[in-house]
Amino acid sequence: METRSMELEVVGMRVANVDALDKVTGGRGFPMNVTMPGMLHGRMLRSPYPHAQIVRIDASAARALPGVHAVLTPADVPQKVYSPVYFVPTLAVGSVQDMLLLDTRIRSVGQVVAAVAATTPEIAEAALDLIEVEYEELPAVFTIDEAIADAAPQLHEGKPGNIAKHVVHQTGDIDAGFADADTIFEGVYETQRVHTCYMEGRVCVVSADREGNLTVHASMQHLFGLREKLAFILDIPESKIRVVKPPYIGGGFGGKLEVTPMEPLAALMSMQTGRPVRIEHSRREDFITTCRSPFRLHLKTGIKKDGTITARSCRSYLDCGGNATHGAKVLEVHGLFGFMYTYNCPNRYWEGTTIYTNNMISGGYRGYGAPQAAFAVEQQMDEMAEALGIDPIELRLRNLHQEGEKHPLFPSDFTTYRLDECLRRGAEAIGWGSRSGPGAGKGRKVRGIGLATTTTWTSCCAGQPDLYEHSGAIVKLNPDGSADIATAAIDLGCGQNTTYCQIVAEELGLPFDKVRMTYADTSTVPFDAPMHASRGTYAAGGAIKLAASNARTMLLRYAAGMLSADVEDLDIRDGRIFVRNTSDRFVTIQDVATLADSPIVKMTQQGPVPDGPQFRGTIIGTSSFAPEFSPIVGGAMFVEVEVDTDTGEVSVEHVVYAHDIGKVINPMGAEGQVEGGVQQGIGYALMENLVFDQSNGVCLAGDFLDYKMPTAVEMPKRIESIFVESIEDSGPFGAKSLSECALIAPAAAIANAVYNATGARIKSLPITPEKVLEAMGRL
Amino acid sequence: MKRIATLNVNGESHEVAVELQESLLNTLRNQLGLIGTKRGCDSGGCGCCTVMVDGKARYSCMTYTLAVEGQPVRTVEGLGSGNRLDALQSAFIEAGAVQCGYCTCGILMAARDLLDHNPDPTEDDIRKGISGNLCRCTGYVKIVEAIGMAAKAVHGEA
Repeated sequence: METRSMELEVVGMRVANVDALDKVTGGRGFPMNVTMPGMLHGRMLRSPYPHAQIVRIDASAARALPGVHAVLTPADVPQKVYSPVYFVPTLAVGSVQDMLLLDTRIRSVGQVVAAVAATTPEIAEAALDLIEVEYEELPAVFTIDEAIADAAPQLHEGKPGNIAKHVVHQTGDIDAGFADADTIFEGVYETQRVHTCYMEGRVCVVSADREGNLTVHASMQHLFGLREKLAFILDIPESKIRVVKPPYIGGGFGGKLEVTPMEPLAALMSMQTGRPVRIEHSRREDFITTCRSPFRLHLKTGIKKDGTITARSCRSYLDCGGNATHGAKVLEVHGLFGFMYTYNCPNRYWEGTTIYTNNMISGGYRGYGAPQAAFAVEQQMDEMAEALGIDPIELRLRNLHQEGEKHPLFPSDFTTYRLDECLRRGAEAIGWGSRSGPGAGKGRKVRGIGLATTTTWTSCCAGQPDLYEHSGAIVKLNPDGSADIATAAIDLGCGQNTTYCQIVAEELGLPFDKVRMTYADTSTVPFDAPMHASRGTYAAGGAIKLAASNARTMLLRYAAGMLSADVEDLDIRDGRIFVRNTSDRFVTIQDVATLADSPIVKMTQQGPVPDGPQFRGTIIGTSSFAPEFSPIVGGAMFVEVEVDTDTGEVSVEHVVYAHDIGKVINPMGAEGQVEGGVQQGIGYALMENLVFDQSNGVCLAGDFLDYKMPTAVEMPKRIESIFVESIEDSGPFGAKSLSECALIAPAAAIANAVYNATGARIKSLPITPEKVLEAMGRL
Repeated sequence: MKRIATLNVNGESHEVAVELQESLLNTLRNQLGLIGTKRGCDSGGCGCCTVMVDGKARYSCMTYTLAVEGQPVRTVEGLGSGNRLDALQSAFIEAGAVQCGYCTCGILMAARDLLDHNPDPTEDDIRKGISGNLCRCTGYVKIVEAIGMAAKAVHGEA
């Protein structure tokens, strides 16, 4: 992306979130707040069984209940097979299509069976109780081993062995690589289900008009994805669906990257009744709708005495639950980005398998398969370092890809990649030099320091032909000299709206407070890929910068005419357009924008006279843009933990997380991303677990009383963010990405720190007190 | 069976018809249009719905509307006076304590309770004071910072 050589004035500035004032005074923009006159309340009936066939449904009593306006059972809805994930077109080759809106075959507890819309939520809930469903229970499988056993029940037609997806990827000669090694290390690592815990639950309001046009409000991460899924599932043209962009949503973290039954069911019930229908999840429903995919990994690495990795192989098993949803793509991302190319290695073999079980559906969650890989890879790096007597930092430095290297597989070369500097600066900040050997501490409470690195990519256009990548925007100047941005790129809480205002202000030479994010919907703005894969700043920000640049071109053309100067001789500073090297030949952006929107006839003392249209017409820039490239980002997390050797409790005391994310657009926002990533990482490492009853598939941790995520008292008081700002030429003002990177390393770093403190290595998440005591031989 | 109740919310009197078991959260949001109070879990687990009842922070989802008759209720809409922000609100903006913002209003009310009862809190006091409120975006770093800033700002004024 072309960047003019100039001093940056707004980009790089520490600015407050543009939505903060609204959010501290009530937060009116959340989809949860949307209501409409005459609105009905929808509720969904869910299966209590993990595996069953519905033999009979009788909804007559529910339909007869006063106040009930619509009831949907499987017989009442379209029977199109689809994949619910937003980031691939439904018919893409890479997506596994195995879902019906309402299916008579039940594959997990909580699968939606029927829906009701009524005048009040209470009536809707009462109506659900009146729906009689007769189930024929089928034998269920809850573990990978049960699911792949010869006698296992088959969950889907045409998916023998309950294998939803199987991928093999190899480079070099894996056998020769292992033969070349001095030592071979092997380990099995397991990760659990965790929920994204967005604070705003999933909710939608769908309103159909008499011609069948739908207006959709929902808390989700992709306007156009929701439109495409609704069009496909309901078999109606996309032009009949208008998905409205919420000003912001209450968190997503990947947990709102698929259509759930609520949106199409609300649409159908609205079309039937002619009234808006609102459906909201209870928190319990949110907890069983999507989660981070659980993995079992068998990791094997061959290494020379000098620390050179010669071969690396891995078999990864992903338990996707009753439907594949994200399970196919998380698997690929996990293998190809999370495991295969984090370190240099000539001989690689990876085999990944996504397996159906009767557990809850897994999904995509910030990091998307990479944290699971890092948990294994980064622990094994430490195991090897210790066995070879090499410092863990040194071992990593010896095996890192180098800046400037071509990526072995994807068009995401290591154009800018300063992970080495992240390691060095992070080590210094945590006091790595004072770290002692494993289990060296004495007394009841012992301390340890650990690290883990992450190497991931920005956006996902590189090598993923099935994924959407375009973003677009409209940037428009107002007569008062301010600019509005309209884009479908949505703010999940990462500060996108603020970043975009900074980018546009910088590009147009406007003060930061003269740029606003405004309304958008799928009928008015260009297509946008989902807000996923840490693409907000780099890809969508790039598109928004391009729209601003196009508006700038028009602005300068008008100004040149007004100043009788050449466009090439103009500079924009502080809202004024100057003829270069002069201080008195200028027009303000406000002057130009005002003239642009003025009549083409002007009033003089002699009366109205034609003024010519040459500088008239709104100054506007549009874009629809996809980067051709996915730059690599790196991070090194250092953590100090304290372990209570009597209780097994681990507390995180100090975190230093160094990232190479390119140019930092808003340092305050970037720090927030790191701090939130660390929090989610601590939850993933130490406490969070969606526990299920393995006899019946029922979630036992379906609310925040049973599902423990970190509160302010469980968080370390010291979290330091270090940013290594390599300037990535393909990104807006040199920016790359951050969000997911911040959550990939924490669990692995904490596991390594626990080992350093206690000498006990724990290869399954979460690292509970029981596991710590057991690994220490104290249980 | 509905009953008529008179509520005092943010200094204004409201007459509402409520079911016996209706939560204060639902009354505030659905009847009074005070949508700053957020529904997060409906089970007293997240704190998004925190309001102040008679000067004490309470989960409005776990509070019966009929139980607060006669007691002043304060929501985020009643924080600050007129267009003037409460010191906590200004500090949250300045410190970058707001990301997705869904938990923000509840945390502001919990923090208001904390500062009303402990105007000069230590960092541990602050962390404990908001430990009944979940945030998933911030790691609480800048929230804790903001509450400390607000405490100092008020001290500075006095």
